[in-house]
Amino acid sequence: MDVQHTDLGDVRKITLAGRLDSAGVDLIEIRFGALIVPVGKHTVVDMTEVSFLASLGVRMLISTTRALSRKGAKLALFGATPPVMEIIETMGFNDIVPVVASESEAIAYVTE
Amino acid sequence: MLNNTIAAVEDGRQPLLRHLEPQAPSPRVINRLEVIFEELVSNIVRHGFKAGSDQSIVVVAAVRPGEIELTFEDDGVPFDPLAVAPPEPFTSLETAKLGGLGIATVRKLSASVRYEALAAEAQPRILGGRPFRPRNRLTVSIATST
Repeated sequence: MDVQHTDLGDVRKITLAGRLDSAGVDLIEIRFGALIVPVGKHTVVDMTEVSFLASLGVRMLISTTRALSRKGAKLALFGATPPVMEIIETMGFNDIVPVVASESEAIAYVTE
Repeated sequence: MLNNTIAAVEDGRQPLLRHLEPQAPSPRVINRLEVIFEELVSNIVRHGFKAGSDQSIVVVAAVRPGEIELTFEDDGVPFDPLAVAPPEPFTSLETAKLGGLGIATVRKLSASVRYEALAAEAQPRILGGRPFRPRNRLTVSIATST
């Protein structure tokens, strides 16, 4: 599991790659949070290279989004593949965190 | 047979997928199998086992018409995950409760799940050169026509 970041103007973009399973979350959770929460910017998370998602990954995403929202910033995910999307929908994650198709939609959501 | 580390998930995942390859399950079924496997094995290791112990999980995969059945036996703390009430649906970011997501997801992705508590005094099996006395058996079936 890998996590990279870049800034698109006032929006932070996080790119995840690999499996968000127990081992993957253990590997990146601290870094993922540190790249997002202290920075306090609106954030978009690129999920196009995430091949697997389980509950620990969803917990990491919700916890980080919640911490960021308490700083007044938004987070949206984009590009989830069909298997990842099935898990997102099964857990109801997209009822509380937006998951959209493209980077531009995610940026539009967090900056509106 | 899987040991008491989080690496057990990956250790078991690949052989499971190789075992099921001849059935050529769809990508959707494979993903469901992998999620169920991940959730159950990681839960057993994290919550059912004593850190550093030689406790184990045995997973058996059986292919039947229209379904794949996975049976998980472990010698951890006796625990029926189906007796725990499922979490409330998420209604807001602030109120979202994050416990119990794993087993709730297993229930939604599977055609059926059943739990059996196994007797402590049952005759042990010898696996990996040591006695294995499972206390929990969880059987999950996944529809292959999904």
